[in-house]
Amino acid sequence: MKTLLKIAWRNLWRNRRRTILTAAAVILALSLALFMRSMQFGWYEQMIRAGVSQSGHMQVHDTGYQANQSIDRAFFYREETGEALHSLKEVKSVLPELQTFSLASYKKQTKGVLIAGIDAKRYDKQNNLSGKIIQGHYLSGSDDVLLGDKLAQFLKMKVGDTLVLLGQGYRGITSYGIYRVAGIFHLPSIEMNSGVVYMNLKTAQDFAYPYQPGLLTSLTVFLKDPGDLFTVKKEIEQKLGPAYEVITWKTMLSDMLQTIKVDNISGQIMLLILYIIAAFGIFSTVLMMTMEKRKQYAVMVSIGMERRKLVWVSIFETFIISLTGILIGLLLASPLVFYLHAHPIPITGEMAKMYLQFNIAPVLPFSVKTHVFLSQVVIVFSLSLMSALYPVIYLSRFNILNAFRH
Amino acid sequence: MSIIEAKGIYKTYQETKIPVNALNGVDLKIEEGEFTAIVGPSGSGKTTLLNILGGLDLPTEGDIFIEGTNLKQLSSRQLIDFRLHNIGFVFQAYNLIPVLTARENTEFILELQKVPKKERRKQATQLLEAVGIADKADHRPGQLSGGQQQRVAVARALASQPRFIIADEPTANLDSKSTNELLEIMAEMNRKYRSTFIFATHDQRVMDKARRIVTIDDGKIIGDETFEGR
Ligand SMILES: Nc1ncnc2c1ncn2[C@@H]1O[C@H](COP(=O)(O)OP(=O)(O)O)[C@@H](O)[C@H]1O
Ligand SMILES: [Mg+2]
Repeated sequence: MKTLLKIAWRNLWRNRRRTILTAAAVILALSLALFMRSMQFGWYEQMIRAGVSQSGHMQVHDTGYQANQSIDRAFFYREETGEALHSLKEVKSVLPELQTFSLASYKKQTKGVLIAGIDAKRYDKQNNLSGKIIQGHYLSGSDDVLLGDKLAQFLKMKVGDTLVLLGQGYRGITSYGIYRVAGIFHLPSIEMNSGVVYMNLKTAQDFAYPYQPGLLTSLTVFLKDPGDLFTVKKEIEQKLGPAYEVITWKTMLSDMLQTIKVDNISGQIMLLILYIIAAFGIFSTVLMMTMEKRKQYAVMVSIGMERRKLVWVSIFETFIISLTGILIGLLLASPLVFYLHAHPIPITGEMAKMYLQFNIAPVLPFSVKTHVFLSQVVIVFSLSLMSALYPVIYLSRFNILNAFRH
Repeated sequence: MSIIEAKGIYKTYQETKIPVNALNGVDLKIEEGEFTAIVGPSGSGKTTLLNILGGLDLPTEGDIFIEGTNLKQLSSRQLIDFRLHNIGFVFQAYNLIPVLTARENTEFILELQKVPKKERRKQATQLLEAVGIADKADHRPGQLSGGQQQRVAVARALASQPRFIIADEPTANLDSKSTNELLEIMAEMNRKYRSTFIFATHDQRVMDKARRIVTIDDGKIIGDETFEGR
């Protein structure tokens, strides 16, 4: 075995230039692929992070709310429900929320809005809404509301003005109220800036159903480790029973996941092209190395060397090239990828606007997740295995006398 | 018992459109210690016969026994192993692994035979001395002349302690000085160790050294002379 490895190594060394060229193809393909994938996955992770920061890892609703998001599917908070969620060690925080649709008017202007009743302190801790206030201050008094800058512009309102909300409350009651604009926020998302009114949870509950306290549409759960998603979902479902539904971000953000999936396929096609180039490089080199030595190999088999051993030489040659390529490729690409992970590239122009619409910060962070690296390494490695296939088949079958003659 | 006994050997190559009858009924016995040349014009069937004697190819018809073993009865794997332990080869070219030194090339066959490392080293050194290139033991084939390479090939063939050695035109690429040296070495090995050599050649210098000359033409043996005292 040692001698076979020695032969393979020296064969490669003997034709240094060709070996280096082949390894370079592997290096190029691997580093390009790594760069591309790290960028893509970084983007996906960023989108998901942004999405999850809004939706939470999962939400607990009254069963049926996800399909039909109406105030009639709200539920009343009970101590046991909260207990059940907080008692799970995987849960980081739980945010209660009441959302309902309403008309917002100021003087002659009227617009449909989404009222979001939030636990002001805890919501801020999660989403830093107070940091997005551009005029006025964050929620404090019970008649305080926050408007997006676009909505304020539409309604021609400024801080301190009085907003009238009128809508349908829980169980068909008519709800109305008069509120003071405490602050105007600006979020990355245009939709939120033009259509959301934030108020304290208690205020929203009084608006939607003043007769019984504790009305909620959702309990948003954040986890310590996103990897626990499905185990926690199961546990919550078991604890709360069929009256409640537990919806994970994967369902809530399914449109986004679909977009990612499509994008990922286009990325994979690019990869395929890169890897075909690399695989062809390895393949042709190993093939040449085998074919140009077939007379020697025929002599070796003649004197009594098993074909199996020749096959090993060929496999060693392939692996030495591909492993070297992989290692150097990793060494070259990783520092750059890690740098761009720590210092994301800022995005400007139209692209940036699109990002903002999705409530995503306009930067391009690179992913440094293990799977990004591992998958590239595994692919290159299996491709080189496959490139060794033809020489291996040739060596285990070739006719020694024919090899002598040609 | 003869070392080799070939009985009624026919060989027809079917690969081409018109089948070629390369051997047409060859009977041949080789005894231990022979130093035999198979001679004949180009295309007469020398290589075909040697390949069959060496277990590299099987006859279309007839049987070939090596010390009683019928080669036809071995699987291709067994045949490789049989060659490893019983037959030495010196080809016209491409004999050596270019990335291994003369010593490593010689040791290689012993490694295939699973001889322990220390023993390999010792035998290889001795053989390289015997063929007169001990001083070049750590050179690779590319750094050796054609004659020196062939001597390494002889050393390797002998290293496996085969029953006989087959050499197909071993001197075809050599100048007369190297040819003489190589022949001298093989003759010496033959005398000293009673190693059996069978050559195919149309080189007069080789014929002059041979103790037995089997002449072949058109796939048939047309002459078989023995020269005692050479
Ligand atoms: N693999 C083969 N396929 C077809 N014909 C062959 C093959 N090998 C040898 N021959 C033919 O068989 C005859 C004998 O060839 P060979 O044994 O090589 O002769 P020599 O070694 O005496 O020159 C020649 O006519 C040659 O062309
Ligand atoms: Mg010939």
